[in-house]
Amino acid sequence: MLEGILQGITTAATPVNLMMVFIGCFAGTFIGMLPGLGPISAIALMIPITYSFEPSTALILMAGVYYGAIFGGSTSSILINAPGVAGTVATAFDGYPLAKQGHAGKALALAAYASFSGGTISAILLLIAAPALASVSKSFQSSDYFALMIMGLTAVSAFAGKGKFLLAILMTLLGLMLSTIGQDQTGVPRFHFGIADLYDGLDFLLLAMATFALSEALMVVLKPQSDTKESEAAAKGKLGSMKITRDEAKDLAPTVGRSSLLGFFVGVLPGAGATIASFLAYGMERNLAPKKEKEKFGKGSLRGLAAPETANNAACSGSFVPLLTLGIPGSGTTAIMLGALISYGVQPGPRLFVENPTVFWSVIISMYIGNVILLILNLPLIPYIARLLALPRQILTPLILFFSLMGVYLLSNNTFDIHLMVIVAVVAIVIRLMDFPLAPMLMGFILGGMMEENFRRAITINDESISFLWERPITLSILIVTILLLMAPLIGTFREMRAKRLRDRLAMDGEL
Amino acid sequence: MTISKEKAGALFFLVLAIAYGMAARNIRLPFGFEEELLTARTMPLILAWATGIVSALILILPNKNSSGDFIAAFRGLNWPRAILLIALMALYGLVLDQLGFLLSTAFFLFAAIYALGERRLLLITGISLAASGGTWFLMNEVFDSGLAKGELLYKLGIY
Repeated sequence: MLEGILQGITTAATPVNLMMVFIGCFAGTFIGMLPGLGPISAIALMIPITYSFEPSTALILMAGVYYGAIFGGSTSSILINAPGVAGTVATAFDGYPLAKQGHAGKALALAAYASFSGGTISAILLLIAAPALASVSKSFQSSDYFALMIMGLTAVSAFAGKGKFLLAILMTLLGLMLSTIGQDQTGVPRFHFGIADLYDGLDFLLLAMATFALSEALMVVLKPQSDTKESEAAAKGKLGSMKITRDEAKDLAPTVGRSSLLGFFVGVLPGAGATIASFLAYGMERNLAPKKEKEKFGKGSLRGLAAPETANNAACSGSFVPLLTLGIPGSGTTAIMLGALISYGVQPGPRLFVENPTVFWSVIISMYIGNVILLILNLPLIPYIARLLALPRQILTPLILFFSLMGVYLLSNNTFDIHLMVIVAVVAIVIRLMDFPLAPMLMGFILGGMMEENFRRAITINDESISFLWERPITLSILIVTILLLMAPLIGTFREMRAKRLRDRLAMDGEL
Repeated sequence: MTISKEKAGALFFLVLAIAYGMAARNIRLPFGFEEELLTARTMPLILAWATGIVSALILILPNKNSSGDFIAAFRGLNWPRAILLIALMALYGLVLDQLGFLLSTAFFLFAAIYALGERRLLLITGISLAASGGTWFLMNEVFDSGLAKGELLYKLGIY
């Protein structure tokens, strides 16, 4: 392990990679600040640039963009109450009231410190957890991976939110369907509708750009935000003192510690991620706070700001654990990184730990560096970064559309891709307006091909039989967990239906 | 009568599942592969069945957390501008090979920024030319990727 860490430091600390962390953090902060654009779009926009890079350099850049986007989202949450990222919605609960009370500088500084602490503590946990899980997963076979992928996709749906479980499952299935377009592993063409450009299937970058970057930019046009004046005022206004007193730091230290641990473990769970982590941490701190402090929550509590900020950054690091060790993404953001890694010719999973230790360790080490750079970058630059909020949307949106289209076109030099992106973006807008979650679709699409491949391999290994599903203990255990995950929301639905029926009957009896 | 967003979506998915399932049954398998346990049809057929079942479940089960009416979700939005941008992107894809990267990109950016309400023509021109020229220089001169110069311009003898 020590050798690996040293190897990681050597790779991550090269001038090129350090520059990539810096660029990634800066670009991520900028994109994350734009309301409507999340980390998936931020990373998708970076992928075309990374194709000529070494896989470790590319992943380091993307990881930097990821943290940067989360921090950028916090800035717009605090200053204008418009979270650029879902993971920073909870940040606005107390960050925005603090800014309104004239403590924007303090809130932003606290967000930067909390993000740094959460990111650093979870990076240490990642250093311990990732190699341990990678060694365990070395004994995994194709059938186990197949089961794990089903579990990952089910978990993403299970954590999609109240009332969204079945919708998320449908979107996952849509992603899986899209992954079947083009030739299968045996070379049989499917669902190409006679269009030669579809013989090789859909490109993951095209799908990611169209469903996230393009459609998010178009949604900003469809639902114009009325925050322009507020943004300009926030950008030009004074932020106030950025100092955090020793007593405040002392008071917040346990909050940061608890939220880091919670954030990391929630981040490791497939499907959970930064949004759930930040809400859970906020809820936990509110419950643990003494009565006097509890009353401050929602009105500008420092604890209420530190908890979600720490947890969302910790969850970002946590979400790398399943990606690096099992090759299974736990969120839409890590799914897009998985897609990028596969296109670089790197297969994440336990083999990554053995075959590409440089990538594995340098990414982990770069997380420490990324957190330090984010702190260095954000603290002194906060007043200037805030001015970015005043950039006119009517100029930014067309540029985002252009870079999204170019990102895909430059790789294929085929205008068919531009038209396909426009069609996919229109469908994605309809899906967004209908409140169906899009991230499960992206995960289904990326895991679809791998799932079918692993299933095929498992059948071949087991002499054309599917008995491995119940005969192999690891596969069976994972499938049982999957069934439990699948049943839990359904049982909840049926219970509520029964309770409602009972209430209705009682009400009717009462009327009679 | 109103229909909720979830039910409308589920109905769409049900139709999709039927169409996809039918298309899956028509996948041509190589001779001798029909009897295999896992063929190119297997996963699509499983997906079609699963999608059909889940969408039917959404249609049957009552909506306890409905996020609103299907038609209302599409009302009150700035459709003209969004449709204009979508049309501009489609047009950009159509003229890119003919007019070449530089001209078509500058035109697309100018039109898109103008469509979104910016009226400072000098600023729009500057941004459009800088973005298209900058990308052209970066891709052609630095990365040597050879962006489209424009067939129409070639026919007109401009380059």
